[in-house]
Amino acid sequence: MILCPACGSENLDGADECAECLHSLTDLSLPRAMTAVERGLLDDRIAALNPRTPVTVGPDAPVSEVLQKLINDRLGCVVVVDSQQRLLGIFTERDALMRLNVDAAKLAARPISSVMTVSPATLRMRDKIAFALHRMHVGGYRHVPILDDQDRLAGVISIRGILAYLTERHTASA
Amino acid sequence: MSFLSLSTDPVTEAYPDQPLAVSVDSTVGEVIELMRAQRGSCVLVCADDDCQGKVLGIFTERDALRWMAQGAAAQIGIRDWMTANPTVIDAKSSVGSAIQAMSAGGYRHLPIVDETGTPKSVISVRGLVHYLVDHFPNTIYTLPPEPGKTYDREGA
Repeated sequence: MILCPACGSENLDGADECAECLHSLTDLSLPRAMTAVERGLLDDRIAALNPRTPVTVGPDAPVSEVLQKLINDRLGCVVVVDSQQRLLGIFTERDALMRLNVDAAKLAARPISSVMTVSPATLRMRDKIAFALHRMHVGGYRHVPILDDQDRLAGVISIRGILAYLTERHTASA
Repeated sequence: MSFLSLSTDPVTEAYPDQPLAVSVDSTVGEVIELMRAQRGSCVLVCADDDCQGKVLGIFTERDALRWMAQGAAAQIGIRDWMTANPTVIDAKSSVGSAIQAMSAGGYRHLPIVDETGTPKSVISVRGLVHYLVDHFPNTIYTLPPEPGKTYDREGA
């Protein structure tokens, strides 16, 4: 049974509008945010996380140079772009472990494009944070590149950034 | 409907993983091949293979990356590349305190230990995300494609 929020009369499950007052019932199944953390998840868009400007390299950068960059700049990933800042791939710590591993020294001179993850999942600035969290959870990603409307790279978000954002909201509301 | 209770839920709710454990006498080469084979993101380094007693160190993807960037030898001992005396957390601690300890130290993994200091499992950022997603299933899984837009139903 669905209670009509407008007139309070009872309607059959699945009804599109209230039989008494014709008030629409279709949006009753949409999620409603209960806590500050949920509101943060539901209402805020990725832009609120202030995605950092990613460190980028060209596809021909040697593996050794990219590894140095990850260590020196304390990064978890670099984004590989072409000369028009269009996304080609991403190279993360995980890729280093899975694809270089003990052969790191042997592969040091190879171009990064041979070991990067090609066409990673991307998001846009206007996507909701909940959507980003879902993507990262399902895909097991720690980093997701953010594209602008011209499909150029605009930023990178990390799981760490989302966790920090949510716990900040949680402590602010507690 | 469950609510987030970061300060009361024990850390064991946040999907801890069974740890990969190696002896402190292993070489870096052995350890990172084990990580690749098991698709693990960290290993605990103990006095012996079955890991009773205190954790001597932790070796993570980040340490592996440092090792690769330096181009060091694969035969070098894990002892020289692990992070010694890692921060650990008690199984009775809350999820909230785990998140705090991780963000304060910049860690992605925390070993969970029992009263004797023996590691039982490892909590990771991935497990925390799983925990969060679990606690907001309504928020996260039933999002309309473009929130705020109303949709006309077609057909029956």
